[in-house]
Amino acid sequence: MAVVIALTLAGITALIAVSEAGVASLWRHAYHVPVVLAALRWGGGGTLAALAAILFYTPFVLPALERAGPSRAVLEALVTLALLLGVGVSSGALAAGGRRQRARYEALVAIQRAVDGDAPLDIVLVRLRACLEARLGGLIGIAVRDGDRLALAGAAALAPGSPVAQVLGSGAPLYVSDLGGGARPRRCFVAPLAGRGGITGALALERRGDIGADERRALLALATHLGLALENARLAARQRRFAEELAEKVTAATRHIVEMDRMKSDFVAIASHELRTPLTALQGFSELLATRRFAPSDLARVGTIMHAETERLGRIVADFLDLARLERGLAPPLRRTRVDAGVVVSEAVEVLRRARTTHALELFCDAPLPPVDADPDALDRVVKNLVGNAVKYSPAGSRVRVAARPHAASPAVEITVEDEGPGIAEADLVRVFEPYYRAPGGARVAAGAGLGLAVVKSLVDAHGGTIRAENVAPHGTRMTLILPALS
Amino acid sequence: MRALEYASAPLRSRLLEATPLLALAALAAAWGLAALTLPAPAARGIGLAAAHGGLLGTALAWTAADGARERWAPLEAALVLGVATLFAHLVPGGVVAYAAVPAWLVWRRADWRRCGAEHARAMLTGALFGLLLGLHLLVNASLTLGFHVRPGRPADLLAWLAYDLGANVLAAEAFFRAGLFARVHRRWPFAVAAAVSTAASVTRYLLDPLLPHTPEILAGAAFYLALLGVGNCWLLARHGSLAGPVAAGLLFFAAYRLLVR
Repeated sequence: MAVVIALTLAGITALIAVSEAGVASLWRHAYHVPVVLAALRWGGGGTLAALAAILFYTPFVLPALERAGPSRAVLEALVTLALLLGVGVSSGALAAGGRRQRARYEALVAIQRAVDGDAPLDIVLVRLRACLEARLGGLIGIAVRDGDRLALAGAAALAPGSPVAQVLGSGAPLYVSDLGGGARPRRCFVAPLAGRGGITGALALERRGDIGADERRALLALATHLGLALENARLAARQRRFAEELAEKVTAATRHIVEMDRMKSDFVAIASHELRTPLTALQGFSELLATRRFAPSDLARVGTIMHAETERLGRIVADFLDLARLERGLAPPLRRTRVDAGVVVSEAVEVLRRARTTHALELFCDAPLPPVDADPDALDRVVKNLVGNAVKYSPAGSRVRVAARPHAASPAVEITVEDEGPGIAEADLVRVFEPYYRAPGGARVAAGAGLGLAVVKSLVDAHGGTIRAENVAPHGTRMTLILPALS
Repeated sequence: MRALEYASAPLRSRLLEATPLLALAALAAAWGLAALTLPAPAARGIGLAAAHGGLLGTALAWTAADGARERWAPLEAALVLGVATLFAHLVPGGVVAYAAVPAWLVWRRADWRRCGAEHARAMLTGALFGLLLGLHLLVNASLTLGFHVRPGRPADLLAWLAYDLGANVLAAEAFFRAGLFARVHRRWPFAVAAAVSTAASVTRYLLDPLLPHTPEILAGAAFYLALLGVGNCWLLARHGSLAGPVAAGLLFFAAYRLLVR
C-alpha cells in the first residue's frame, strides 16, 4: 500500500511536470487521492502522505512564486498546499478516531466472550489479556482480587510498589511516562477495575509508544466495563456453583430419606417379630395357667419364664421410647449421681455371667477407678447392651473380655468390651450407631431391631462421653466407651 | 511485564541533570580565549572542536547510567575533535582523522556499538529518508534560489563527508536526538519532545557561522532542518537506534554539500 501511494504521488508529480499549465495544472488536486487513501489505511499516515505531497508539489510552487510573485495561479497552488495538509491531518484524525472506536467496541465484545462460560478466573484472565493485547497494541497486565488471593495475567507475581500494586492500593488511575529498563521510554497506564464492592483489580497497558489522554480516558471506560463483566461472571459462576451444590444436597437428602424409609420398613418387620416372640410366650403360658392345673414347682418355673419374657418386652418398649426421644432431638432422661463405674460394670457382668453360660465372660477391673457422674441404671443398660451384642455376634465358647480402667490421656474412665467374633466391615464401623442400621448379614446372625447401639450412643452422649467401634486382630470387635470422671 | 513486576518510582531527576557544566564552561572559556588571542583560522578550529565537543560530551553525560562519571566528557570529545581538525588542516588526506571521533565514541559507550537487525533497519530507513530529503533539496534549491548542483572535486566532497560524519552530524544527532529528545520523551509525548529537540537543533544550525545568513537561505535551512529533525526523532523513537538519524543526516548534508550558487 505504501508503495502504491508513493508511486501515485510520483505519477501525479510527473503529470504536473509534463502539463503545460505547470503549477496551475488540475492534476494537483489528484494529490488528495493518495492522501485520503493513506489516512484511511493508517490514520496518522494521512499527515505523512500530505507532507510528502507538499514536498512533491513545492518545486512547482516556489519557482512560480519567485518568477511571478503572488499571482492567482500561485495563490491557488498555495491554497492547494494548505488544503492537502488540512485534508491529510483531519481525515487521518477521523480515520484514527473511527478505528479506535471500532477497536473499543470489538474489545467490549471480546471481553464478553472471554468472560463467558465456566472457565476458572485464571483462564479467563489469560483470554482477556490475549484479546486486549491484540486490540490495544501493547502489553496488557490484569490483576483481580479473588477472595484472599490475587489472580494475575502478565506476570507470575506482583511486585510491591509496582504501578499495578499502587493502583490496587489507592484505587486511582496511574500514568507512568517511563517505566525505565530500556533506551526508549516505556509508557504505562493502569486503570482500576471497579466492582460493586469497590476496587476489585487493575488493568495495565504498557507500550513504547505514547498513550495519549484520549486513549487513557478510553482505557478507563474499558476498565469499568471489564470490572463489571468480571463481577457479573463471578456472580454467575457463584450462582451456578450454588445451584449445583443445592442439587447435590437434594439428591443426598432424597437418597437418605429413601434409605431411612427402607430401614424403617425393615424395622417394622423386625420389631413386629421381636414383640411377637415374648407376646407369644406370654400368651401361651397364660392360656396354660388358665386351662390347666400345675404343681407348685411348675407354677414357679412358668412364672419365672413369664417374668423374663415380660422384662424382654419391657426392654424392647423402653428402646422404642428412647429412640422416639432421640428422633425428636431429646436427650434420654437421666438420674445422675456419683457412681463407681467399676461396681456397675462388675454387677452387670456378674448378672450376665449367671444368665449366659455359652461364653466365657472375663472381667478386668482396675481399682480404684475415679468416680463418674452418671445414671447407674443407664450405665448398667449400656454395659449389658454392649456385652449382650458381643455375646450375640461371637461364636459360642469364645471369650468376651470386659475391662474398666482409668483413661490414660484424660481424667475419665475407659470401659472396653471385646469379643472374638468375625468383626465389622470397615465401612460399617461408623454406621453401627445409626438407628435402624444393621450391618449386612447381621440379621442372619442374631435377631434385633437395630436400635441397641443407637440407644447406647444416645445414653453415652447424654453423659458427655464417647463411644467408638474398632476391629481387633486377629478377629473380633472392640467397643470403647469413655466417660468423663468427676473433678 | 514491568508494570506488574517492578516497583516504579516517579521521575524525580531534573531535565538537565548530569549536565557537565564545569567542562562546558572550560570549553567556552577556551573558545573565548582563542578568539581573542589566536589567529582566525586557529580560533575557528578551536571553536569548532569546542562546540562539537561540548555537544558530544553532554550527550555522553546525559545518556550515561552515571552522569557524574562523564563530567569531563566534553573536554575529552573536544580534544579528540581538536586533534582530528588539526590533522585535517595540516596533513594531506588528514580528514580521515575525523573517523576517529565515531570510533572514540563507540569505544567510550559500549551500548552504542551494538549491532543487530534493528540497527540495520534503522540505518536503511534513515538513509532512505535522508536521500529523499536531500534530493528534494537539490531539486527545489536548483529551481528557486539560483543554486545549482555541482559535483565538485571528490577530495572536497570527501572532506565534507568526513567532517559531517565526525563532527557536524554526529555531534548534532548525539546531542539533539539521543540526548535532548530522549530525555524530554521520557517525560512528555512524542510531539512535545520532537518539537523541543527540532527547535533546538534548527536554532543551532541557524546560529552556525558556516551557514550563509541570507533570508532565503535561513528560511530554506529552517524548513529542511525542521523536517530532518522531526524525521530523525521519529526514527529514534521507532527503532531506538542512533544509526538511523546519523545516516539520514549524513545523506542530507551530502546533498547540501553538492549545492553551489
